[in-house]
Amino acid sequence: MSVIDIEHLTKNYGKARGIIDVSLAVEQGEIFGFVGPNGAGKSTTIRTLLGLIYPTSGRATIFGKSCATNPEVRRDVGYLPSEVFYYDGMRVIDLLRYSASFYKKDCTKRISELAEIMDLDLKKRIDDLSFGNKKKVGIVQGLIHEPRLIILDEPTSGLDPLMQQRFFDLIASENKKGATVFLSSHILREVQKMCERVALIKEGRIIKVERMSALQENNFKRIKVESRADFDKTIFDMEGVTKVENGGKTATFLFKGDINRVIRRLAQVDVSNLSIDEPDLEEIFMHYYAKDG
Amino acid sequence: MNMYLHELRSLRRTTVIWTCAMIAIALVYLSLYPAIYRDGAHFRDMLAGYPASIRAMLGVTLDSITSVLGFYSMIIAFVVLCGGIQAMNLGMSILSEETRERTADFLLVKPVSRAAIVTAKMLAALTVFLITDVTYYAAAAVMAFAVRQSSYSAGLFFMMNLTLLFVQLIFFAIGAVVSVFFDRLRSVLPVSLGTVFGCYVIGALIAASKDDWARFISPFRYFDYPSIISTARYEMPYLATGAAIVIVSIFACYTGYTRKDIHAVS
Amino acid sequence: MNMVRRELKANARALVIWSVCMFLCVISGMAKFTAYTSATTTGPSINDLLKSMPTSIKALFGFASFDLATMSGYLALLFIYVELVAAIHAALLGTGIIAKEERDKTAEYLMVKPVSRAAILTSKLVAALINVVVINVVTLVSFLVVVPLYSKGSDASGEILMMTLSMFIVQLIFLSLGTVLAAGMKRSRAAGSVATGILFAAYFIARITDMSDKLRFLNVVSPFKYFDLPRIVAGGGLNPGIVVLSLALVVAFGVLTYVFYQKRDLNI
Repeated sequence: MSVIDIEHLTKNYGKARGIIDVSLAVEQGEIFGFVGPNGAGKSTTIRTLLGLIYPTSGRATIFGKSCATNPEVRRDVGYLPSEVFYYDGMRVIDLLRYSASFYKKDCTKRISELAEIMDLDLKKRIDDLSFGNKKKVGIVQGLIHEPRLIILDEPTSGLDPLMQQRFFDLIASENKKGATVFLSSHILREVQKMCERVALIKEGRIIKVERMSALQENNFKRIKVESRADFDKTIFDMEGVTKVENGGKTATFLFKGDINRVIRRLAQVDVSNLSIDEPDLEEIFMHYYAKDG
Repeated sequence: MNMYLHELRSLRRTTVIWTCAMIAIALVYLSLYPAIYRDGAHFRDMLAGYPASIRAMLGVTLDSITSVLGFYSMIIAFVVLCGGIQAMNLGMSILSEETRERTADFLLVKPVSRAAIVTAKMLAALTVFLITDVTYYAAAAVMAFAVRQSSYSAGLFFMMNLTLLFVQLIFFAIGAVVSVFFDRLRSVLPVSLGTVFGCYVIGALIAASKDDWARFISPFRYFDYPSIISTARYEMPYLATGAAIVIVSIFACYTGYTRKDIHAVS
Repeated sequence: MNMVRRELKANARALVIWSVCMFLCVISGMAKFTAYTSATTTGPSINDLLKSMPTSIKALFGFASFDLATMSGYLALLFIYVELVAAIHAALLGTGIIAKEERDKTAEYLMVKPVSRAAILTSKLVAALINVVVINVVTLVSFLVVVPLYSKGSDASGEILMMTLSMFIVQLIFLSLGTVLAAGMKRSRAAGSVATGILFAAYFIARITDMSDKLRFLNVVSPFKYFDLPRIVAGGGLNPGIVVLSLALVVAFGVLTYVFYQKRDLNI
């Protein structure tokens, strides 16, 4: 049984497009990434999964059950929303205790552990916290009950770099303990670092679901060549080469295919400097993010 | 249980304020009562010099309005107005709290059903009304007893005060239903005050006579105090209407709240 | 100018609803006039009796100080309720229009535009004033249209004009009270509740002073009692002294609003 199972999920907001025929599955122990441009439908998918909104058609289940009909399934789910708001007049510790009271376990030790890792002052009033500190409250609140599934929506926005690092270490250690992680983020660097598989959603539809390694294998290499003499304008016109920028003594291009062909072509040139780069997820996805990608 | 206690805790301050306000109203009016009773006696003496027809018309009314219960009718009407405002405000704010304060992503992701959330909130509201009303009743009973000029029926007094709870439940139910179905309301006060004062004004202006069908429009006129005093009962059609409003509204709240989409921060 | 227009547009729907409600209030209130007149028999002896009735008894009977049989007297009674509704509208409008930026979290948008806080405040107050005037005019017109249908000859339009003018001043008082509270209170969202609390207390005091002559000093606290309605009803017009004092109060609140708003730490 997959931890998350989304089948042909569709949600329409009147005439406005929500999500269309979204299907994906997340297996036990995975760290799964979920990326897409603004307005693509990431939040809609997550909110339907959690039972906050109801699908027009299709199903979304966690541990085999729908959150909407079986709210007790959420006992094992931790959700860190992108924007955190809390009740007026509560201190951090009050909110965490209130949060813990929904789960049938004693979370006091966990609260102090997590507060220490995230450097959170429990006695402070939430109203007086900065945005980033409120985010920390959100993180701690989502993890105190040691959930088996952690759903993260833009978790590190507002955190300083040190906290971001600590946060991801925290997630990694939870994952090692057996938790499954579903990460939705715009920060592709993070997704690349943490996730094993990733789904890309655009304009309401899933474009791709792939292993991170496959994504990088199947992709272009960025090659930059420098020479002591000007390049022939057409020297790099060959199959598999795209986006050639041939300006005098420096040329860059993207290449996909048998690298030997490039090496043979380069042998004809007096090369002074050569670099071959693996594109990062950013570049791969910018290609998809763009309107006509 | 935890949600119930959380709601109660956050309502602590306003409940105290409302209870004090209601007790203050009763206190001020009741403190005037002895003087008014004397004015009434004085006026009755004056009436002796007037023709029988006038004496008949005014005399009966005079006796009832200067009796403790009669005078209290006016007080309780004012207190019930207060209670109505409290109730409608509470009704409109308690179910929409998460949507208005954007804490929906916190509470509605917890492993509790939406129905459980509604139940906890409704019970908290009911508790607030009971606390307010019982405290008020105790204070009013003591004060009324202290200023009485003649004996009165404690039973009737209780019946009159019970109408406070009834009216509160009715306005709470209306407020709750409105808040569940009208999601986008940023500010609760204009709607709740408008409705409650609207009903009050309608009650005062339109539903002046006893058998007016317009009495059904304003919950403030569901309970006619002179009639309670004289017949020791509530008028069934109005009591039934009130109960129906409460039951239907609560049912609608459960259905609406359970079925609706909770959108992200808007 | 653009801000005034924005505020007016934002309030348009509410204004329409409140105007309709005022109109309905007036109509339904007048519809009951005949009921009242038939219930009380007029005659010289009754009027004498009413005059010699102790204040408290009169209040309990619901007559307060008016002779309910005449159109003017009844109007005064109806007017108490109409004025209450208008005052609530004004108070909520005043608090709402100031508190809304922080309540709706739009403060960070508006307050960083190249306009001074004073200019922003002026636009809001102008828009609020226009709303209050509209309500007042709707009430006036409703009365002027509906009353002749019931008045059987006697012309009360002079008194109606005076009464709605006094209502206008009361509206201004509550409007400015609302704005000063919202501008001054740390939690501007709570201003609405405080303003209504004060309004409610003022209404309660007005009803209490009806009861007892001894408490008449309390009338200072209740704007509903600033204008002597019996005098207006009897054709005496508005007391110029009170008008000046009330307008001074409005101006004082207004100035305080500016002072507080300028100094305010905006919290989102």
